Amino acid sequence: METYKIYILTSAVLFVIGIGGVFMARHFIKKIIATVIMGGGVFLCFVSFAERDALTFADPVPHAMVITGIVVAVASAAFALALARRIYQLTGEQSFPIDK
Amino acid sequence: MSVLIDSLLAILAIYLALQCLLAQRLIQTVFIFFAFGLALALTWVRLGAIDVAITEAAIAAGFMGVLFLDALRDFSPAVSKKQQNLEAVRNPLPGNDTKRPILPRLALGLGLVLFLLISLEAVWNTPEGKGLTVVTGVMLPDSGVEHPVTAVLLNFRAYDTWLEIGVILMGLLAIFAAGGKEVYRKSGMTAEDPVLRQVILFFTPILFLFGAFLLYFGKSGPGGAFPAGVLWGAIGILLHLGGRPVLTVIPRWLLYLILTIGPGFFILLGFLLMTTGSTLFEYPPAYAGILILIVETMAAISIAAALTAIFTNLNQMSEEPDKIESNN
Repeated sequence: METYKIYILTSAVLFVIGIGGVFMARHFIKKIIATVIMGGGVFLCFVSFAERDALTFADPVPHAMVITGIVVAVASAAFALALARRIYQLTGEQSFPIDK
Repeated sequence: MSVLIDSLLAILAIYLALQCLLAQRLIQTVFIFFAFGLALALTWVRLGAIDVAITEAAIAAGFMGVLFLDALRDFSPAVSKKQQNLEAVRNPLPGNDTKRPILPRLALGLGLVLFLLISLEAVWNTPEGKGLTVVTGVMLPDSGVEHPVTAVLLNFRAYDTWLEIGVILMGLLAIFAAGGKEVYRKSGMTAEDPVLRQVILFFTPILFLFGAFLLYFGKSGPGGAFPAGVLWGAIGILLHLGGRPVLTVIPRWLLYLILTIGPGFFILLGFLLMTTGSTLFEYPPAYAGILILIVETMAAISIAAALTAIFTNLNQMSEEPDKIESNN
């Protein structure tokens, strides 16, 4: 089995773990971390395909896109954290209230 | 042998991701998240993506982990216990929270399993493609740099990179908007701790030098503007936490200038190149190397300032209620 196949399977599993976390986690921080894990899965998929298409060097376009993507993910996660902390300050809620 | 290492790394990443979401306490979640980021960085080294590994270790594990750790000051265990008590007073039914209906859980579990199977099928049976490796290899001599990833980032797809720096600035603006007033901690507070002072004295020049090295080395190997920007941003965070908040010392207009100089110079250069008859960001091959180096330096300065400002703003968020109370 080639290297990239192992990581392609891992990427799918990580993505699903992230989706499950987004639904199941209660706390804001856990939800944000779950979206970051989802993103990690997507990036792993990209880089694995870059390795599959490697000749003398791996395909640099997915690498560049993943570097861009990581920075964008960090910016959005920082914004989400700012919103979460603001919500906590204003209402004291640490998770979305569940309607019963 | 290599299959064994790769399988172990894959299992480690999956285990850490699961543990990260299943951990009981928030502080465990955040520290396992650090470990998860570093495990992902290792996977990227295994896949030959050294640039991605450096970026991941610096930004995704390091910087984002620091932001989450800082957020824990708000959501501390003591406070959450208080909130649990409050909730218990509000709805006095015992055990109401732990007992959730079985049907939605079952549906969610089934849905996740189905989704996992679909994703596995999708990534396993992706049709073979050639990718863009050949095209990049042919175009590489014209790009002015020797490292293919840097060539793609700053020459072939320079427009994306420009937008990316813009996204960081947009994130900073959004945090300004969400965080209410823009108040930085007062300057003049010096670190009393001698160990902290020595750490700052020791690490500031090293971080600066290492960032400059990565910036210059990006021409011929893994490195470039983003890792350099993060390392320089780490200097800002270190100085801020050590009681020397750089962002309050420099005047406001200078901060805005530093924040916008990267994307500003980038797009100005693009438009200037258009006046010579080429398309946006089409560098003339003779000057491409030096132009890319200048653009990268400007971008790294802007990224460093933006990351420091993001951290500073998030860091002062939990101090705001005290200020409002003391004003009243």
